[in-house]
Formats: sequence, structure tokens, C-alpha cells
Amino acid sequence: MSTSDEPTITLYTTQTPNGIKISITLEELGLPYKVHKIDLKTDVQKEPWFLALNPNGRIPTLSDTFTDGSPIALFESGAIMQYLVARYDSDHKISYPAHTREFHETNCWLFFQNAGVGPMQGQANHFLRYAPEKIEYGVQRYTNETRRLYGVLDSHLEKTNRPYLVGEKCTIADIACWGWVAAAGWAGVEIEEFPTLKAWEERMAQRPGVEKGRHVPERHGIKDLLKDKAKMERIANESREWVQKGMKEDAERMEREKQREREK
Amino acid sequence: MSKPIILYSHKGGPNPWKVAIILEELGLPYETKFVEFQDMKEGPLIDVNPNGRVPAIEDPNTGVAMFESGAIVEYLVETYDKSNNLTYTSSPEKYLLKSWLHFQMSGQGPYFGQKAWFELYHPEKNLKSAIDRYANEIRRVLGVVDAHLKKQGTEYLVGDKCTYADLAWVPWDMALQFLLGEGAKKVEEELPTYKAWHDRLMARPAVQKIVEERTKANSQ
Ligand SMILES: N[C@@H](CCC(=O)N[C@@H](CS)C(=O)NCC(=O)O)C(=O)O
Ligand SMILES: N[C@@H](CCC(=O)N[C@@H](CS)C(=O)NCC(=O)O)C(=O)O
Repeated sequence: MSTSDEPTITLYTTQTPNGIKISITLEELGLPYKVHKIDLKTDVQKEPWFLALNPNGRIPTLSDTFTDGSPIALFESGAIMQYLVARYDSDHKISYPAHTREFHETNCWLFFQNAGVGPMQGQANHFLRYAPEKIEYGVQRYTNETRRLYGVLDSHLEKTNRPYLVGEKCTIADIACWGWVAAAGWAGVEIEEFPTLKAWEERMAQRPGVEKGRHVPERHGIKDLLKDKAKMERIANESREWVQKGMKEDAERMEREKQREREK
Repeated sequence: MSKPIILYSHKGGPNPWKVAIILEELGLPYETKFVEFQDMKEGPLIDVNPNGRVPAIEDPNTGVAMFESGAIVEYLVETYDKSNNLTYTSSPEKYLLKSWLHFQMSGQGPYFGQKAWFELYHPEKNLKSAIDRYANEIRRVLGVVDAHLKKQGTEYLVGDKCTYADLAWVPWDMALQFLLGEGAKKVEEELPTYKAWHDRLMARPAVQKIVEERTKANSQ
């Protein structure tokens, strides 16, 4: 049992756009939490203890304790954010009350990020930065799709002429998008193409909760890195090496599992 | 509720049929409007979904318009599933459902969709490593479902009843044969717990009804 001054929330995370969504949400809500850094390079996320918390073997993952003492472990950044505001944002600092129009609209944009921007920008990163062979078609397809999605965000912000995606208030939908938009250049997307979205990104960056939460579990370096082309190339090469190692290990693990299944 | 919900859909795309299954399961009246891909970036769809994709819905009973299948499913359940047929309001189940729905939305939909894209539009290009990438991801994602069900020893993802989080997976899983060809059978053999779960979902009357309607729509 935890003592009363020890936080009940533990965030399992890494310095990535999906990871910082949760630390930013926690900071915006002013909630105390413990941070458990997961080293993706050594595949900690595929260890049994971690899979017991998140069957998908990814970060972010969050564990918490209910008032009756029973534990909960959640995966998927979108679900974690929905949980945090449902349980802790009774003042509606970064969310709208359930069953309101704005509540539902927030969820549209939250899923737009999780099912659209995240996966597509992730694929752009893969083909541009990590893929073992350069497939020009893949780079084009996913950079363009990411640009298309940014265009949707940009014109929505422009048309509604409000500071955030759902009205006057920064919500979990904005927080979900921010880490990805701040890293646009890494995916080969020029944020200058999208002036209203760029202004939104800067507005978000001004928020103390965003500033504090983005540096978890360590410094958020991407914005500086994008300004230093030479360093960016070097880091890209290093990342390429370990991502490919990971892909190879995944393939081997799958083969071993299949083998075991066949032997049964 | 009295007036039918308007569902913007496409005959081929899996995502709108996910919403149709939920509407059917909840016994809600709805009217389907099929939109061709080339008409998605203009009105009336673009006014409902700035992303110009299907599904999207308009609910004349509440005046709410929604896009993104995952958000639509949550809206329908929260608004109309008063007796919790497809959901839980108790913790932690209520939140675990969201983890699995988000996993379907971000892990199954986009990656199965990428495989479909390369399969449909670019078999001629020499993109083997890209095609393998998405085939492997399909196998991995269904492996996560299989391992979870096996470990829990339950018939459904969360708790002991079929929920929206299970049903959300159905349309893309139905496309497995199309996506993997010969490989589909192998995956199903390797993942028997997944396969049994999928068959269990397919046997539901609401799912059967949507399968029929989709076949009918595509034969017109
Ligand atoms: N849709 C998921 C995506 C999570 C995800 O892809 N996390 C990455 C880091 S950003 C990860 O853990 N990768 C490790 C791996 O794939 O082994 C979410 O939003 O939580
Ligand atoms: N994440 C979205 C994906 C929607 C989506 O991609 N729908 C496809 C049909 S299954 C579509 O509208 N495609 C049109 C296009 O790509 O232009 C959701 O689940 O609603």
C-alpha cells in the first residue's frame, strides 16, 4: 500500500511524441506522478513484467490506484488521456464535461491524431529516417499524407479562428497533436507551409504545463535538433541502426513463436 | 430517439461498417449515404468531417455531428446504450475498453489499411519490403489480441461480455483474406484464440445483418 504522500500514478515512458502527451497532461492537471523510464533500445517494453501492464509492448503506459485500493494499468496514449481527465479534471481545465458537444468534438480530434497524424507521420519517419533501403515512393506517400493531415488542422484552426482545436480551451486533443507537430521537420514536413498551425504550435509551447511536461523523462531536444542539420543527420543514422536491430529481433521473435506453436 | 441517424459510408471501406455494426447492435434507426471517394472532399461530407473521409455521422436528435469511427462509436454508446449492452460503466473495465478501442484505431486500422493500399494500388512496384512491413505488423497486432485472450482465458477483450471494443475489430479482421491471401489461413492457424474470438463475433446476428447489407450494397 502506498503512503498518502506517495503519488499513486506511475508513468512508463520514453522521450517521444506519444510519451510526452501524458507527461504534459499530468503537468497541465498538476497531478503528482512517478516516472519510470523505459529503454526502448534494450527492448524493456517487450519484457514480461511490462507486457503484463501493456499487452502491446509500447509506451506510454500508466498505472494508478483507485480509491478502493485496486490497481489499474492502461495503454494507448488516447485512452490514458481520456482516463486522466475523466478521473481528475473535475474543474475541466483541459476537457469539457461528458455529453456536451465540445466533449464529443474533442474525441473526434483525439482519434484524428491517434489514428491519422500519429501513424502516418510515424510511417513518414520510418521511410525517411529508418528504413533499411530507401524507398522513394514510401517517403513521398507518407510525407504527403502527413502534409494533408496538417492541412486539415491548419484550415480548421483558420476557419474557426479560435486559439485551440475545440474552442477557447486547450484540451487533450491539442496536447495529443502537439508533440507530433513540434517534430514535423523530422518527418520531412515544413511547418512554415502551415502558418495557422505553426502559430498554434507556438501558442501551445508557451503553456507552462507543456514546457514542463515535454522534458519527461529527459530533455525534449527535437525542436533544437531540427535547427541543426548536421547533428540531425548524425542522430538519424544512430536511430536507423537501433530501429533496424529492433525490426530484426521482432522478426526473429515472431519466427520463434511460430515454431513453438507448430511444435505443440 | 425518433429520427434516423445519418451515416456517411462507402461500400468498400471497412471503417464505416464498424459504425454500422454498432448502430445495428444498439437497434438504432439510421440512414446510410454512400459517398464516392472523389466526392469526399466536398459538401455535404466535408462539412461534417473536415478530414473528408468516411465514416461520419449526423444525429438529428441531438444536433451532434461526428467524425473518426472510434469517436463515433464512443458517442453512440455514451448517448444511447443506457442499459450498458456493449459497455461497462464500472472501473477499471470502463477505461480498459478505451485502451482496446484506441489500439484498434491506431494499431489495426492504419496498418491493415497500409497493407490494403500497397496490395490494391501498387502490386506492380517493387515494394516488397514495404509490403512485408505491413504484413508483419498485421501478424503482430493479431498476436497481441491472441495472447491477451489466451492469458485472460476470457471470451472477450474486457470482462465477460461482448463490447464495442471487440466489435470495432470486426471489419478489418474480415478483410484478412484479402490482405494476406494465402497467408491469412496461416495466421489463423497460428493464432487459434484470436480465430475463435473472431468467429464468435461474426456469429452475432447484428454482425451477420451488416455482412449481408454490405454484400447487397456491393452487388448493386
Ligand atoms: N498508438 C500508440 C502508439 C504507441 C507507440 O507506438 N509507442 C512507441 C514509441 S512513440 C513505442 O513504444 N515503440 C516501441 C516498440 O515498438 O517496440 C499510443 O498512442 O500510445
Ligand atoms: N481513422 C479513420 C479512417 C477513415 C478512413 O480512412 N476511411 C476511408 C474508408 S475506410 C476513406 O474515407 N478513404 C477515403 C480517402 O482516403 O480519400 C476512421 O476510423 O474513421
